[in-house]
Amino acid sequence: MKACPRCDSADTRVMVKSPVAGEWEMYVCNDCYYSWRSLEDPQVLPKFKLNKEMIKNLGVIPPVPPLD
Amino acid sequence: MSKVYKDLREFLATLEEEGQLVRVKEQVNPEPDIGTAGRAAANLKNGPAVFFENIRGYKTPVVTNVHGSWANHALMLGMPKDTPVKEQFEELNRRWDLFPVPPKILPREEALCKQNVIDKDINLFDVLALYRINEQDGGSFISKASIISGDPSEPDNLNKQNVGTYRIQVKDKDRVGIQALAMHDIAVQLEQAERKNEKLPIAITLGNNPLVTFMASTPVGYDQNEYEFVGALQDGVPFEITPADTAPHLYVPAHCEVVLEGYIIPRVREVEGPFGEFPGSYSGARLQCEVKITHITHRDNPIFENLYLGIPWTEIDYLMALNTSVPLYKQLKETMPEVQAVNAMYTHGMLAIVSTKVRYGGYGKGVAFRLLSTPHGMPYTKVVIVVDEFVDPFNLEQVMWAITTRVKPDKDVAIIPNCPGMPLDPSSVPPGIHTKMIIDATTPTPPEKIERETQLLETPKDTAKWEGIIRGLLDNLK
Repeated sequence: MKACPRCDSADTRVMVKSPVAGEWEMYVCNDCYYSWRSLEDPQVLPKFKLNKEMIKNLGVIPPVPPLD
Repeated sequence: MSKVYKDLREFLATLEEEGQLVRVKEQVNPEPDIGTAGRAAANLKNGPAVFFENIRGYKTPVVTNVHGSWANHALMLGMPKDTPVKEQFEELNRRWDLFPVPPKILPREEALCKQNVIDKDINLFDVLALYRINEQDGGSFISKASIISGDPSEPDNLNKQNVGTYRIQVKDKDRVGIQALAMHDIAVQLEQAERKNEKLPIAITLGNNPLVTFMASTPVGYDQNEYEFVGALQDGVPFEITPADTAPHLYVPAHCEVVLEGYIIPRVREVEGPFGEFPGSYSGARLQCEVKITHITHRDNPIFENLYLGIPWTEIDYLMALNTSVPLYKQLKETMPEVQAVNAMYTHGMLAIVSTKVRYGGYGKGVAFRLLSTPHGMPYTKVVIVVDEFVDPFNLEQVMWAITTRVKPDKDVAIIPNCPGMPLDPSSVPPGIHTKMIIDATTPTPPEKIERETQLLETPKDTAKWEGIIRGLLDNLK
């Protein structure tokens, strides 16, 4: 399995295979949820690259409220 | 009585008859072909809807750019396709006042969206030909859904049921991310549910009657029901809805193409984005809400209707043009009858132009403050241009004339720092905070000091007659 094109994680998997059999597969990263199709050659711009530390510090939308 | 469409399919048939829909029969790749065609269609004058019949690896079709031109917009309203924008604005204003028109609730067996049911082994890709819209998007996005959610404290109150458009990223065969910004109605409901650590049931509806999509992206009051507005915009014909299967307090459009039922998982945020957004730039990755899909209903051979977003103008700019202008106009008019029209067509109302009579000195600025305190204007609008009542705010040449000849920058331009802003606007720093600018291009009125007397040029009395003569001479040349 290929590494994630965005966060380089090795924890990726096949998300789905084409409804018409044998045309393509789609992959997803279990760490950053980036997904791509086997027909693509994703070139993620450096400004959109992520790593585990960055993921932890991303903005939260909307904020999680306190429990009542 | 204007033409009313029962569903998306009837509207697509009309677009095709009117030469405003093209079919791509050859096989295309999901990426980059569909997104690219959406950009291309928007580049054409009066660009058509584009229907893809054969997408590699999928069994179902896609249609895009359905709202993507003024011709399509006029046809949505049942008007001739060459109707000028200002006339469409005026017709929308007339129908708006028919609100509320209660919807008609159909039993399940009469609702076409229930033709097929999937309640196990959910796989969105079997039903929808999902694809990446812009190259740097973090995955496949659903950009044109109408999402239905209820108020947890009053689930049966239809007025507080929300029908809204929020971007959706496909994360798995049965799981999607959703963007619920704090300023949006769904965030109010989500907060109530999350405070109790409860799931918020939602229904994601796709392939809707074009007026449902139009109203789902219209900023109306929290306790105003969007379906009652659809009935009003159908010139008084009630809109047909039916209960969702798994959350019967939620009502979905009876004849939409696909309904994805599920719930927002409480107190969970995962990576979502980037996504190419309506300001013409990507919004980066954030931690956002997650939805579990548990149940799907769909019509036979479901059509996936989706929308391209790019540097304006693209389809979304046509969709969010007059539906932003009309509610702002109505909200101003309630307390300021002098207001004549509002053009808030630019980037979802981030710039708005208001024409108004000026009752007394400083009135133009007062109108701007009023707009900046409406529910939509407060976060979204950052530039307000106010012009006299004889200036058509939809005619940008006239607006530029008003600015060039009426504005004394040191007194007519006001800058107000540290106000609410639209977080997706790349110039909003920090995201969600912005500076407002008011340009008062109205004619000075007492007690403001009139520093120079002005005599406007008049239109010669026989101008219309001469227009006819010149048009006739032009016709003779053909």
